[in-house]
Amino acid sequence: MYGYRLGAIGIVTTFFIIIFSTVLMPMVLFQPKPSGRGNDYKAIDAKIADAERGRKIYVREGCFYCHTQFTRIQDRGYGPLVKEGDYVYETPHQLGTARTGPDLTNEGGRFPSEWQKAHLITPRVVKPGSIMPSFSYLSEGDMNDLVAYIQTLGNKRTVTTFVQAPDEYLLTTMQGRGLAARKTVDTNSDAAANAGRGIYTQNCAACHGLEGRGNGPNAITLEKKPPNLTRDYYKQYPDEFWFYRISEGVVGTRMPRFQEVLSEEQRWYLVAYLKTLPKEHEETVNSLDDLNVAEPVHLPKLSRQQWEPHHGKE
Amino acid sequence: MSTLAQTSLLDRFFSPKEGSASRNFFLSALWWSLLGMGAGMLAASEFSMPDLIRNVPQLSMPHLRMWHVNAVAVGWLSMGYVGSMFHMIPTLCKCKLYSERLGNFTMWAWNLVMTGAFCTLLNGNTEGREYAELGAILDTLVVVGLVLTAFNLYMTIVNRKVKKLYVSLWYFLGSLFWFPLVWVIGQRTFVSLPGLNDAIIGWFYGHNILGMWFTTVGVGMMYYLIPRYVKAPLYSHGLSMLGFWGIALFYAPTGTHHITQSPVPEWLKAIAIISSIFLLVPVLTVLTNFFMSMKGKWGQVVTDLPLRFAVTSCMFYLVTCTQGPFQATRWVNWYLHFTQWVVGHAHLALLGTFSFILTSSFYYSIPRLTGKQWHSEGLIRAHYWLKFLGFLLMMSSLTTAGLIQSAGWAMGMPVDQWGLQIRPYWFLRTISGIMIVLGQCIFAYNTYKTLFTKPSGADVKAKAAREVKV
Repeated sequence: MYGYRLGAIGIVTTFFIIIFSTVLMPMVLFQPKPSGRGNDYKAIDAKIADAERGRKIYVREGCFYCHTQFTRIQDRGYGPLVKEGDYVYETPHQLGTARTGPDLTNEGGRFPSEWQKAHLITPRVVKPGSIMPSFSYLSEGDMNDLVAYIQTLGNKRTVTTFVQAPDEYLLTTMQGRGLAARKTVDTNSDAAANAGRGIYTQNCAACHGLEGRGNGPNAITLEKKPPNLTRDYYKQYPDEFWFYRISEGVVGTRMPRFQEVLSEEQRWYLVAYLKTLPKEHEETVNSLDDLNVAEPVHLPKLSRQQWEPHHGKE
Repeated sequence: MSTLAQTSLLDRFFSPKEGSASRNFFLSALWWSLLGMGAGMLAASEFSMPDLIRNVPQLSMPHLRMWHVNAVAVGWLSMGYVGSMFHMIPTLCKCKLYSERLGNFTMWAWNLVMTGAFCTLLNGNTEGREYAELGAILDTLVVVGLVLTAFNLYMTIVNRKVKKLYVSLWYFLGSLFWFPLVWVIGQRTFVSLPGLNDAIIGWFYGHNILGMWFTTVGVGMMYYLIPRYVKAPLYSHGLSMLGFWGIALFYAPTGTHHITQSPVPEWLKAIAIISSIFLLVPVLTVLTNFFMSMKGKWGQVVTDLPLRFAVTSCMFYLVTCTQGPFQATRWVNWYLHFTQWVVGHAHLALLGTFSFILTSSFYYSIPRLTGKQWHSEGLIRAHYWLKFLGFLLMMSSLTTAGLIQSAGWAMGMPVDQWGLQIRPYWFLRTISGIMIVLGQCIFAYNTYKTLFTKPSGADVKAKAAREVKV
């Protein structure tokens, strides 16, 4: 037994050195200050729904097994990047490990609360092809709190650009500067938009519909439905991103690469038109005072029955 | 008279019979493996048929997943490991287990944990930390179980009759020392750390439950079993020591490679990634040692089924441990993180490698513990092929699905676009799950027939075979 004293000391020492370097040292050296950009769970009036309780339901239902809560540099379309200080009050952490569903870092406000709730109850009705399980067993209160939590995610991270075209479309590269130099169309002008309207009707309306709502006659035959371009999400597309999408199509869908068909000038006209599409759920206020008192989130007054087709009576 | 009845009741539940603790641990492990793997299969089928079960919270995918992970990790693998150690350590020390009664008590405590986990996790009573879902009471009970196991086995080694410690004992002793500590640190039951520090410790634990327990005990079992199957001495004692110290040094700091793209400190990521690559050293030394010990004996896998399980396990160990360092590097991680590739990798380690070596140990130990030969060799064969082919199918479908997902992320496509493309692979994975669970059911049936339908003492020869030279 005593012949192994050195070995035993070796094992104990090794192990404690490792504990020291990878567990204790980070606790001492890595103490991020609150960035002020973390999620604000108090943003929603507690009388409407309790977002902090919603977080507990998010944990209880194991949402983090499929949804992550951190954006990476390479992620397109998931909003601002996260920083250390954003997570100070997040415990247990919900960073997640797999993205079987979309990332939820900045999910708040991306869809209306009614949509979120319907999606929790019947995921495939509002999002065909989704494999999310139905959470129809949650009680009304649980569901509202969970929706409130989802709506607060990322509510303090200000959006600068949601989506960005690949580098070759931006001014940071030579190709991008060449593209900008060749651009003669003012994409903010009514005249350019008017010119784009005809191009849109001829090339796009068959799938995207006359108003861009994704309800053109061809849409019915497509497995991946064309998007509803009137959604808020598309209102923050920069010109280059529209141009990129039109030029290179959307991989995995029937959206073609229009650079094979349309000239650069025609594509810019089209961009100008797309920017004038109507905006869904648009609310107008008459004065700034009204804007300030507007509720950040409208929680659903829907009853579960409305979303349960076979439930019976209303 | 009443004293006699009491004694027999005590003996029934906390039997002092030699080998009973090990046998009971093995049987409990088998029981929880059925429930755990069954839950995994059900969760997999919910991926391809999301509306299969509705309005049953206990059977919704996330709850099944919590239970699946805990049942196979804490129930099947850990209990089976303890069972194997209860058999292997006394044999290597040429003495009896320190206390069979204590061993059986530990077995009941562990089963209590699993019953508690079954009742809580399926209802969503979770701490919300991956791999550390169990609640405070159960966490504490697991520590009790681990400490009692460690005490029992350390005392056995103190009482040993051979002077020199075989390399398996090094691995077992090391694991029994550091795993309870890793568990206590990793659970974070009574502390509330700020988000990213929580994640750092979470992944220290999440990786080391694998690295400091499943790997080290599993490799110790391989060191025990393979020389015995092929009846040849270990190729090199020096290499085995290099492998042991390599694992002890490089495995523990690798945790942060799970979150290389999150805003945690860069130096910590660097430590994790460098150690991950250095892990190739112990892995390759260990496997060289095994494969050289098997020199000239490879033909035995045709007839020796437990050996076949063990060799398959070594092969999967080679694959999983070359995959690991490669996907921990920054660029590859950039591409592959968040996808089903990682799920495939995790199954390669836990199902492909460590479940196979545990099954091998199970098939090896039970005849030696109970003195009964296996009921049917054909069923063992069926179990092997169902598990092996099922696992290959699972691995290839998950890896392919992962590559499709990574391509989707890299091209900036939203989830619902590539989500449709991986539906066939979800389906294949369901089939693979059915095959594996079917194999496990055959395994359980074979065990039942062997232990409970044969008259005891039928094969006395097998019992004698337990006394092998070290």
